[in-house]
Amino acid sequence: MKALRQIAALIRKDLGLQFRSKETLALIFVFSVLVVLIFAFAFGPNFPPEKSERGKLTASVLWTAFVFAGIITLNRSFLNERTHGALHGIRLTGVDASYIYLSKVVSNVIFLFLLEIVITPIALQFFDLFDGITVGVVLKLYGVLSIGTLGFCAVGVLLACMSTSTDGGESLLSVILLPLVIPIIMGGTKCTVSILVTGGLEEGFWLNMLIGSSLIYLASAYLLADAVIEE
Amino acid sequence: MRLSASQITKHFGHRAVVKKADLTINAGEVVAIFGPNGAGKTTFIKILATLLRPTSGQLEIEGTDAIADYAKVRKMLGVIIHEHLAYPTLTPFENLKFFGQIYGVENLEIRCQTLLDEVGLQQFVHEPLQIFSRGMTQRFMIARALLHQPSILLFDEPFSGLDASAKQLVLDRITQERQNGKGILITTHNTELGYHIGTRFFFMINGELEEIARQDEISEKTLVQMYEERLKAGR
Repeated sequence: MKALRQIAALIRKDLGLQFRSKETLALIFVFSVLVVLIFAFAFGPNFPPEKSERGKLTASVLWTAFVFAGIITLNRSFLNERTHGALHGIRLTGVDASYIYLSKVVSNVIFLFLLEIVITPIALQFFDLFDGITVGVVLKLYGVLSIGTLGFCAVGVLLACMSTSTDGGESLLSVILLPLVIPIIMGGTKCTVSILVTGGLEEGFWLNMLIGSSLIYLASAYLLADAVIEE
Repeated sequence: MRLSASQITKHFGHRAVVKKADLTINAGEVVAIFGPNGAGKTTFIKILATLLRPTSGQLEIEGTDAIADYAKVRKMLGVIIHEHLAYPTLTPFENLKFFGQIYGVENLEIRCQTLLDEVGLQQFVHEPLQIFSRGMTQRFMIARALLHQPSILLFDEPFSGLDASAKQLVLDRITQERQNGKGILITTHNTELGYHIGTRFFFMINGELEEIARQDEISEKTLVQMYEERLKAGR
């Protein structure tokens, strides 16, 4: 109960800070919409007639937008903790470092998932993929995006905690995070293409890769959280 | 004994910032460490607060090895350092409420309100910390440090940047907490204030901690003279 109370308080605080800071909210929303628009202008107005081609394009656009919006969000999330020593304040409460880690993962997943809920329909509209989208397809699509976001945040939170304690941490995070999340981006993109084109997940391999890598990252990062947050 | 530090040394690279420091803090006493800027006071207090690991040495807090079991001892500490240890975009009330939830403070809202009243921030309860002056922030820091009723208080330069009324508030609060049996450590370069509030005095110069005397063993004038001599001698 004590652990749950502490994690819940940490998540509430994180989400409160993220939503209160309109800058982050506006920044990642505008950034994601711009990514969609740039690709739409580059490839439009006459998109390929084949649904499979449009599906591939849309999946690439969505994951590009979410990965970079995710990096911005993770950086901002830890800058809140570093600016006036708030992370020291939390450490001084004696709370387990793994709770700090878990709460950061959950709050960032929620925050990014809300962005995905808004941006995905915009991209589907621009790339002319709304036809034939059923509730089942939408659920599968958001399911894949949420698993990918979990894996991304699992490793991203740990690296953001390290990078924001150094000079130039914002650019450092992109450099160290992107190579590590390649399995998640590959799995997530392939699954998204499959859902957008066929309405289902045709190849289990990519879904297994997405779920497997996300869980491995979550477990490894959880075990390393104490060392990273305390050092 | 509330806190016992033995042979604490801290190196940053090749530079020794704290050199084999020994210190004890007992219940009901105020240990005052005097030292100039850059003497290693803040590093030392961060080590005692378990925010920094010493390069070598032992630290016990309330009988627990604080280096190995830091999470257990942290709840016993109330800390003021140069950082806010809080979120600037939140109000003092929101900050106290958040930290109180993590600590598991009972009757939290009443406790937060009472503390903010006591430190004179009742009019600013709903203003974000980022608009606070240095003195107001320091008042908040006192409330933040006392929120969970810790048994040891570690205050780094608690008087810096404060006006007369805020200084008096800090002095009164330290006296009150000492009478409540807490062990208190303050670092300062203000010998006058430190002498009046402290019960035992140390100098820290160039990372070396030296015990000087108890308050009843030394006059303020002698203490100031000794301090100036040590500063001139560079140790």
